[in-house]
Amino acid sequence: MGPLTPELSDAVADHMNIRRGEVHEVVSFYSFLRVPVDAVRVCIGPVCDCLGAKDVLAREQEQANGVPVLGVECLGHCDLAPVLLRGDTVEPEVTYRANDGPSTGLAGWDETLADYEARGGFEVLRDLPAPERIVEELKASGLTGYGGAGFPTGIKWEAVAREPHPRYVVVNADEGEPGTIKDRYVMERRPYLMLEGMLIAMRFAGAEHGFVYLREEYGTARARLTQAIDELRQAGHLDGVAVEMVVGAGAYICGEETAMLESMEGRRGMPRLKPPFPSEVGYLGRPTLINNVETLAHIPAILRTGGEAWPHVRLWSVSGAVREPGCYEAPVDVTLRRLIDEHAGGATEEIGAIVPGGAASGILPPAALDAPLTRDALREWDVGAGSAGVQVFPKSYSPLRLLAETMRFFAEESCQKCTPCRIGNRGMHHLLQELERGRVAMSREQAEEWLDAMAATSICGLGQGAPFPMRAAFRYWPELFAPLGEPSRMA
Amino acid sequence: MIRVGDTMIPMARTVAFTLDGQPASAPEGELLVHAAARHGVFIPTLCHDDKLEPYGGCRMCVVGVEGSPRPLPACATRVAEGMVVSTDSSVPQYQRTLTEMLLAEHLNPDPGGRPNELVDLAEELAAEAPFILPDAKREPYDDRNRFMGYDPDACILCNRCVRYTQEVMQCSALSLEGRGPHARIVPTHGYSWLDTECELCGGCLSACPTGAIYEKFEEGTERPERTLEKVKSTCTFCGVGCQIDLNVDPETQRIVKVTSEPHYVSNEGNLCVKGRFAFNFVHHPDRLTEPLVRGEDGELHPTTWEHAFRVAAEGLLRVKEEHGPQAIGVLSSARLTMEENFLIQKLARTALGTNSVHSCEAT
Ligand SMILES: Cc1cc2nc3c(=O)[nH]c(=O)nc-3n(C[C@H](O)[C@H](O)[C@H](O)COP(=O)(O)O)c2cc1C
Ligand code: SF4
Ligand code: SF4
Ligand code: SF4
Ligand code: SF4
Ligand code: FES
Repeated sequence: MGPLTPELSDAVADHMNIRRGEVHEVVSFYSFLRVPVDAVRVCIGPVCDCLGAKDVLAREQEQANGVPVLGVECLGHCDLAPVLLRGDTVEPEVTYRANDGPSTGLAGWDETLADYEARGGFEVLRDLPAPERIVEELKASGLTGYGGAGFPTGIKWEAVAREPHPRYVVVNADEGEPGTIKDRYVMERRPYLMLEGMLIAMRFAGAEHGFVYLREEYGTARARLTQAIDELRQAGHLDGVAVEMVVGAGAYICGEETAMLESMEGRRGMPRLKPPFPSEVGYLGRPTLINNVETLAHIPAILRTGGEAWPHVRLWSVSGAVREPGCYEAPVDVTLRRLIDEHAGGATEEIGAIVPGGAASGILPPAALDAPLTRDALREWDVGAGSAGVQVFPKSYSPLRLLAETMRFFAEESCQKCTPCRIGNRGMHHLLQELERGRVAMSREQAEEWLDAMAATSICGLGQGAPFPMRAAFRYWPELFAPLGEPSRMA
Repeated sequence: MIRVGDTMIPMARTVAFTLDGQPASAPEGELLVHAAARHGVFIPTLCHDDKLEPYGGCRMCVVGVEGSPRPLPACATRVAEGMVVSTDSSVPQYQRTLTEMLLAEHLNPDPGGRPNELVDLAEELAAEAPFILPDAKREPYDDRNRFMGYDPDACILCNRCVRYTQEVMQCSALSLEGRGPHARIVPTHGYSWLDTECELCGGCLSACPTGAIYEKFEEGTERPERTLEKVKSTCTFCGVGCQIDLNVDPETQRIVKVTSEPHYVSNEGNLCVKGRFAFNFVHHPDRLTEPLVRGEDGELHPTTWEHAFRVAAEGLLRVKEEHGPQAIGVLSSARLTMEENFLIQKLARTALGTNSVHSCEAT
């Protein structure tokens, strides 16, 4: 892919018989359609930033030798931080740290379909219960979407089943939430598990067409899935259905489900207004069931054990200042302390702050180490559970820097469509940068008004969620914001 | 029939809803912003344009709707039976904050003294930018076409112009380029309009709420545009007969620009390059304002219509007598209407006796 020069872009337009301007709009939306394939992409996401990404970037730029070197947002390899992509190759070399959880068994590696079947693969799909039973089991399991929004999966499936045919199934494999590596672990280690979950969803929804929207940076996952889909086709598992991969082009917002649909339909990845929801009006205007990779990966286990008996678990991506960063299956009500100490080998330094579930989830102080990480419990801490991308930051990493990097990320990745997100995030980033220099860009009261407008009036979860880290920082590190004056209300 | 998205639905039944605590009614499916306006509740909009599909980008029009976890855009939400809508102080207000944000994105939101809905709104809401974003400056844009200028600094990225080019004009000569802080509006690839599919119809310009896209010949007119007087007229350039407003400077009594309104019949506010930009002949010193006939001295002299017609008729009859009717051909102007063209061919065939008659409209 890339770079699509204006001449190439026009040639594409002429070939497809569409207006040149419309192709240009789309091309310019995606980061990697303008970058040569051999470019060096250095991750400057928060974990990499904390572990020295700026030095790596400087070093690479020095040794560039004509090859473009650019800083990019989270590459989904936070367990290896600091990381970079040289062309398609990840540096440092990819290693895994995972446990053998009862639901996803990520300690295992399925090299071939036979490996997967030897571990009980496709038993559930072969003997699939009736749709009503599936909905019951999903509801009983308490499974909520693990892509970040946490919508109850049983209710979503039930809603799609009420809509007319034809229906589509889309797997959200765009994993771009900073600090989140779990979907990559599933796709690289057990691609068949996700595909079985996907085929269950397709059979359930009566969908003949299923899509996997995969982020471009996941080359290994792409290869693994391609091979797995081929094997499934040869084994007859895909008879009567089509499973297609759609590869993104470097835009975090395309992980938002309606932006993803726009992207799949060949447009700029700008989120749609909701309602209507994709379960009613989705891909090509048809009812569409969209689930995250991990959500689907749990479904075979749920249907095997029954919803009641399923241990309510999820995959935690743990990275940053820990000895053994990796991806661990653990109960949804696990505490940060247990994740860090029992799974991730303990902290490497005194902990200063923890981001519990990706950029928009918020920031927690060390005092929260013993809080269970359920959605409800976290609400009291004014943060969200998000995608369970736990990022542990040492005391030496300034929370102001973490916050500024987070707001910069949102500003860069905003699709720009709505005012509060496009400008609000840049405004917050500016405020923090000024604060680092001891200057006051805006009063605390006005900043809170801006955050309220962002949360309430933004079109999609990016702008709606962006105020979480700011508000959490106001609450837990009030001294940093003292120059801005009094809060307008009790934080 | 009314249009909802891509589908036509039969004329809607009337439904009852509640607006700011008062009972209200509207055809089912009407946009909230229109239904509210009919009940005297004015909801400000910036990115909405009745000619275009609902977009819901600027968020200026959000209102409270009972049962919705967050406010909804009135420009993209349709009235349904029993809906409870609040725009008043019983729900949080965001317009001033959103306006502050938009102001913070501009070095100078009002560079030309042109009509500017953002500046009006800022005045009305007493909104001020707390700071100007360090990356507010947008690449200046200079286009060599003579009609349309574009000042990126005044642009609020409402995308109305681009949507007009895609949904109405279908030229797609403008693009919403990039994303995040790097987003901007440009003719394809940032070329000149002249190097794109643009036909200089000025439709995108007419959709722009801030004057970021503007009539170039207005540059240097120091007078703020909003004092212009509108004189309703009909474009004389072709038989479509587009309805136009000549915008006249009351002091100089000269036409400054041509606009048109969405409710005007036959063109619904759309114009072509001639109707929009080719009015300079009106004040041109060479413009013919009275009949002229060439005299013995070889010069043109003013005369009466009667005399001019007689000279023309005599000339034609002389040719017919000396060379026969087939020596005469009649070419009618594309500016004539169907009825006028009918009369021309009648004149050619019955009065002059020639079948050589053509309208340049056919080419
Ligand atoms: C800005 C943004 C980015 C998102 N990125 C992802 C993503 O990378 N992967 C994902 O599965 N869901 C992502 N989501 C959530 C999806 O919109 C959607 O809720 C999810 O795919 C639904 O699947 P689930 O119910 O199985 O979680 C994102 C949402 C937002 C607002
Ligand atoms: S909230 Fe941000 S990302 Fe979402 S639609 Fe608005 S501008 Fe785009
Ligand atoms: S002036 Fe008319 S043709 Fe040119 S870009 Fe604007 S809408 Fe399209
Ligand atoms: S140029 Fe005008 S119409 Fe186009 S996006 Fe900017 S403000 Fe809106
Ligand atoms: S010349 Fe253009 S603007 Fe004038 S009437 Fe014809 S189409 Fe309309
Ligand atoms: S006018 Fe409704 S969102 Fe812009």
